[in-house]
Amino acid sequence: MKDEILRGLTDSVVSGDVEKCVEYAKKALEAGIDAYEAIMEGCARGMSIVSEKYEKGEMYVPEILCSAEAMYAAMDVLRPHLKAESIGTPRKVVLGVVRGDIHDIGKNLVKLMMEAAGFQVIDLGRDVPNEKFVEAVLREKADICGMSALMTTSMIFMPEIIRELKKKAPETITMVGGGPLSQELAKAYGADGYAKDAAVAIRVAKELLSRRGGI
Amino acid sequence: MMVDRMKPGERLVAVLMGQKPDRVPVSPFILGYAAKVVGLPIGDLYTDPKKSFRAQLLCAEMHGYDSSPMYGYAAVGAWEFGGKVGFPYEPGQSAPYVIKEPVESEEDVDRLEVPDPKTAGSVPIAMEIARQCYAMGLPAVFQSGEVLTYAGNIMGPTRLLTWMIRKPELVHKVCKKVEEFLIACAEYFTSTFGAERCIAFAGGPIESNKLISPKQFEEFVYPYMLRIHRKILDMGVPIILEHPCADQNKNMPWYRKLREECGWRGKYVWNFGPETPLETQIAQFGEHDVIMGNVDPPSFQFRSFEEVIMLCKENIERGIKNPSGYILGPGCEMPPLAPPINVYAMIKASREYGSYA
Repeated sequence: MKDEILRGLTDSVVSGDVEKCVEYAKKALEAGIDAYEAIMEGCARGMSIVSEKYEKGEMYVPEILCSAEAMYAAMDVLRPHLKAESIGTPRKVVLGVVRGDIHDIGKNLVKLMMEAAGFQVIDLGRDVPNEKFVEAVLREKADICGMSALMTTSMIFMPEIIRELKKKAPETITMVGGGPLSQELAKAYGADGYAKDAAVAIRVAKELLSRRGGI
Repeated sequence: MMVDRMKPGERLVAVLMGQKPDRVPVSPFILGYAAKVVGLPIGDLYTDPKKSFRAQLLCAEMHGYDSSPMYGYAAVGAWEFGGKVGFPYEPGQSAPYVIKEPVESEEDVDRLEVPDPKTAGSVPIAMEIARQCYAMGLPAVFQSGEVLTYAGNIMGPTRLLTWMIRKPELVHKVCKKVEEFLIACAEYFTSTFGAERCIAFAGGPIESNKLISPKQFEEFVYPYMLRIHRKILDMGVPIILEHPCADQNKNMPWYRKLREECGWRGKYVWNFGPETPLETQIAQFGEHDVIMGNVDPPSFQFRSFEEVIMLCKENIERGIKNPSGYILGPGCEMPPLAPPINVYAMIKASREYGSYA
């Protein structure tokens, strides 16, 4: 029964079926399944499959957006029933598109994958001034600061933000991504990590946290 | 290093006519960079046709590259259909961007009207630049796509991509209106200048396989693209500059099919992103079309002069094998902040490694 419900949640996230996802979320609560377990073993597992399929070129952004709708609909049902002791302390990620840039599809996908993987994401939005990144990292005591850019004119702000963070929050992991970025450029900018897309971003974030001893 | 025996315009015309020029032509896909070169804010390049034309002309003259002024940007469609765009006057910005989409609800789709190209959004600016080109004997360039990128700017990319699954009929309605508009634009330009003096330019990032699948390209892009291209070719436009932006490797069969279904009419210039190997492009289009080679654009901004020369050399050595002609260029717009020496690197590489003698 429990396995069937969790599998139902997973499958309906993958297929982007909002109604079924809500239905399985309600069933999970009725069956006495812990809400956190339903989120992690049902919804998050579904999103993880979506992420793998995206990386392999088996799913594309339209399908991912539908999966996200389904996942968030289920989470709306489950979240009010979360018990504080089940959740623990989630890792915090400050995320934003750098100054002058309004292209946020990539950033939104990273946010989605991060949330599904259990991170707490502080989304600064797009066209974010340098100092807002630094302020948010300090205020939230963030574990990771993720910066996205699609324009060659806006990516130049990344090394400035990274320099400030290295001074003021040296423990915070810095990650960059977006169309014009590359591993080489990320290294030149002083970033700790680079991800070519949202699916890779999760893996890189987990690796970096694990190396730092934080996950 | 060879001495040029042809003038910039002559070199490009020779390639487009299927002849061998003195050396590989250079088309650096320059827009915002031209504004920086002449000391203007980038925004002026997109709002003031006189300044834009002059900046682009002087930039071409200063560097000695072969392409001529044009107008276009990736956020096109929103303004034309009644929304609002912003222009790049702030630090970090490099191109116009959408502030308000004309479609924000399902009801807006039916309310959306096909605008008159004579007054729609940026078209009067593009027309004014084309007039100045025409007066100097240069080609009049007009934007002819891509349809899904226009639709994404009209309804917002996230709404578009979600509706492609949830409400495909609404996406098709918008795409159909975009198709009507683009054909009307083509008629406007060809009736003003004569089709033989026009070049159609199409490109956009939303068609990229970073976002959509080849199956979705088949459903939401191909039918519209085919009808638009057929109409433009029927009008007698001799050249179509097609820029499949970013990674579109999986869409390649559809671009090939487009050429086949249009009977290989006209001369196409293909400018794929750097993700698509030149050899793949030559295999698909080399018998008929010109390939505009696709050096990685960010490299012009952050690599050294020597590195850019080497990247251009490698591109030339591979692209020059195309039997129907090759032009050296970046795989997307030249970064506006590229050091001028790296734009010159393209000319120098063409002279050193691109001679046809």
